[in-house]
Amino acid sequence: MGALTMTAAPREDLALVRETLAGNQLSFQLLVERYAPRMFALVRHYTQSAVEVEDIVQDTFLKAFRRLDSFQEQSSFYTWLCRIAINTALDTLKRAGRNPVQAVEDPELVPAPERRGASLPAPEARLEQQEVAEVTQRVLGELPEIFRTVLVLREFEQMAYQEIADLLGISIGTVESRLFRARARFKDKLLSLYPDFATS
Amino acid sequence: MNTDPHTFDCAQAAPLIPAWADGELTEARSAPLREHLLDCRDCRTSMADLRSLSRWFQPGGEQAVPPGFAARVARRAFAGDTGERAAPVLAGDREGRRTLDFVLVLTAAAAALVVALGLAMRASELPSGANLHADDGVELSTEEILQRLKSLDEELPVEVERQP
Repeated sequence: MGALTMTAAPREDLALVRETLAGNQLSFQLLVERYAPRMFALVRHYTQSAVEVEDIVQDTFLKAFRRLDSFQEQSSFYTWLCRIAINTALDTLKRAGRNPVQAVEDPELVPAPERRGASLPAPEARLEQQEVAEVTQRVLGELPEIFRTVLVLREFEQMAYQEIADLLGISIGTVESRLFRARARFKDKLLSLYPDFATS
Repeated sequence: MNTDPHTFDCAQAAPLIPAWADGELTEARSAPLREHLLDCRDCRTSMADLRSLSRWFQPGGEQAVPPGFAARVARRAFAGDTGERAAPVLAGDREGRRTLDFVLVLTAAAAALVVALGLAMRASELPSGANLHADDGVELSTEEILQRLKSLDEELPVEVERQP
């Protein structure tokens, strides 16, 4: 155990990573503390079970620890962690027989959706925030995983296109087109599940 | 890509609108889109629609990190826990495995029965090669043998006799 204490001034992720690799358990604990809340929020988009969320986040950090020496210092630790968390969540769902909805087609080849007549109003006027979140989670759960992930990363995690591209290993152009289709799918699914929300 | 605002149509504008709303479009790509939006009500509606859509993505039902979570995870990591979980046995798998077990037991029982029957047949009294005789063990005299051959010849068809 190193001489670091929990009250030490915040350090850069990279420093904590290096200290962890040098055998400092407390440095790794600091990394977990720093990112656990965001990982819990991220994984929550893939499963509603609190126990499952905790298990997935725990496994995410354990896997990250095991692969820490392969962490490319060019990317952010958070982005790297997100990739592990998403893969762990998807693997867990598959193992549990709850295969996330897979895109049956290449999302990049799906034609752009037609412009729809019905518009989607902003939700605040009708629903409480918690209700909005529940509706959104239900709709997201109905989307193919590839669209759900890109929406989660952009809309909830507020990631830049470049970060999403790095995380998913795709080009920025692909992020753009995938997001475009994902949003259209989200709107269509929302309106099909909740037709009352439509305004013509 | 066409960046002339005068020939920039809705089909070209539509895919750029989300990126523009996200602040991800370069100035070179934004300029013709802005021009187009000024002239195109449909695309402005798309833009408004997109903004409405984004407002559906609100955090809710956050799950608190359990107390002591970070310390526990760090301890497990340094203790060698890799976070790799064995595949759980699924309900469907369980049913399939029960069926497979039953079939395997049944097959093993059938195989054992066949082996037992084989051994029983082998152990039963069957004539061995030493006991087998072409004459069924009846001893005949030379005259009797000749007599039998003669009667057999008489039973043969005539055509056979004519053959060289």
